[in-house]
Amino acid sequence: MALLTQSELGYFQQLASGAVITMELAVSGYVLALAGGVLVGLVTLLRNPVIQVVWRVYASIIMGVPSLLVIFLFYYGGSSVLSGMVDITPFEAGLSALVVVYTVYIAELVRGAVRNVPRGQFEASAALAIRPLSAWWHVIMPQVVRLALPGLVTIWMVVLKDTALVSLAGLNDLVAHAKTAAGATKEPFIYFIAASLFFVVFSAATLRASARLEKRFGRGLAVVKA
Amino acid sequence: MPFDPTLAWDSLPRMLYGMLNTVMITALTLVFGLVVALPVTLARMSPRLMFSLPAAAFVIFFRGTPAIILLYLVYYGLAQLPSVHDGVLWVIFANAFICAVIGLTLNHASYLVEILRGGLDAVPAGLTEASAALGISPRQTFTWIRFPLAMRFALKAYQNEVLMFTKGTAVVSVVTVVDLTAVANEVFERTYDAVTPMLLAAALYWVLVNLMRIGFEFADRRLNRHLIADEQRLRKPVAASRQALLARWTSLPAPGTEQAR
Repeated sequence: MALLTQSELGYFQQLASGAVITMELAVSGYVLALAGGVLVGLVTLLRNPVIQVVWRVYASIIMGVPSLLVIFLFYYGGSSVLSGMVDITPFEAGLSALVVVYTVYIAELVRGAVRNVPRGQFEASAALAIRPLSAWWHVIMPQVVRLALPGLVTIWMVVLKDTALVSLAGLNDLVAHAKTAAGATKEPFIYFIAASLFFVVFSAATLRASARLEKRFGRGLAVVKA
Repeated sequence: MPFDPTLAWDSLPRMLYGMLNTVMITALTLVFGLVVALPVTLARMSPRLMFSLPAAAFVIFFRGTPAIILLYLVYYGLAQLPSVHDGVLWVIFANAFICAVIGLTLNHASYLVEILRGGLDAVPAGLTEASAALGISPRQTFTWIRFPLAMRFALKAYQNEVLMFTKGTAVVSVVTVVDLTAVANEVFERTYDAVTPMLLAAALYWVLVNLMRIGFEFADRRLNRHLIADEQRLRKPVAASRQALLARWTSLPAPGTEQAR
């Protein structure tokens, strides 16, 4: 006896192809946001009042608005602004929206992490006459990575789950395929559960990987339990 | 296509109606989230596997699943089950608004469990031991010592989560609830002007989120008013940077300015 009928198998194959698109969007979005966020985070640490004011306003706007609205704005707004010149695909609109939003979150995280590196580390580097670039690379950044890691993992999980929103801008990802299959077969439960299990499995895998990473970057530190 | 002020003004009443729905869903989810999260947290922290395993599964499933899929599951998925469709519960699950609140509550509660757990874990063991040594019952230790402190420790994480999920309510339009985002979409589909309604909705979300943030900061100051030294430490950098800014404009060296890193 076959476990699945022919058409059900077809729907699950579609789900799988959608899952690939979801992963592509999540990974490329996160990598670009990470690169942008580290750069912006370091630049906005400069004590130039103009940079500070511009950053505060910009970060407040982006962090105060749902990412779904940013996706819609980029997709529908972008299509009308750029009409005739280039066509914006849902993937491009979703990717740029996710990158714009999460660059800000990662930048804030990096700023906080640098601020939490003890002053003495900067002073000691200066006292030992370590050149600023080497000091940043060999002394400060390894500690920034350790301090920022839990937040970076959280943001990765948020990005992964936010990719589900891009289906509302017409991207044929996992969620969109699950919705189509649910509507066509009148059996929504199984397809939505399948879609949710995909995200649950990846979140769980992320948590395991992050525990290992935290151990790696936290080596040399002992936890004191009160 | 730039921002159109006339259209923005005309669609404002409808937008505010949508915003009211957003606020109501947020408020209900906040309350129900706490109601669900508290017992699940206690179960999650229980040494007995009979309680802690189901609670852990609850957290893993509802935290790992995107809110949009949970909404689909509650609104479309549960309707498929005969026991739901033909039972008394159908009154609840036929209503999109209630389904939206249920889906978001499950999502929000699973985050809350981890936040509450983190807060309770952060309470120093010495305090619990001290109150045990003083003969205070475990129950009283929890209500009067561990819980009040955990609340203060967890407040910042709670604030982040609440603000995140308030923005996350934007997805409820997928189950036909007319919230702020749904109204913005409505206006877009009627006028083919995407920029104006989306920017207006974004502005309204920004106001809502920041009002909530101010509320949280007020609560934070009230709960932590005993931390006088900390408060002073927190306020100083602001004053210092203001002085530095002033010095830059007047090209005078600010008193006690430190060398940039």
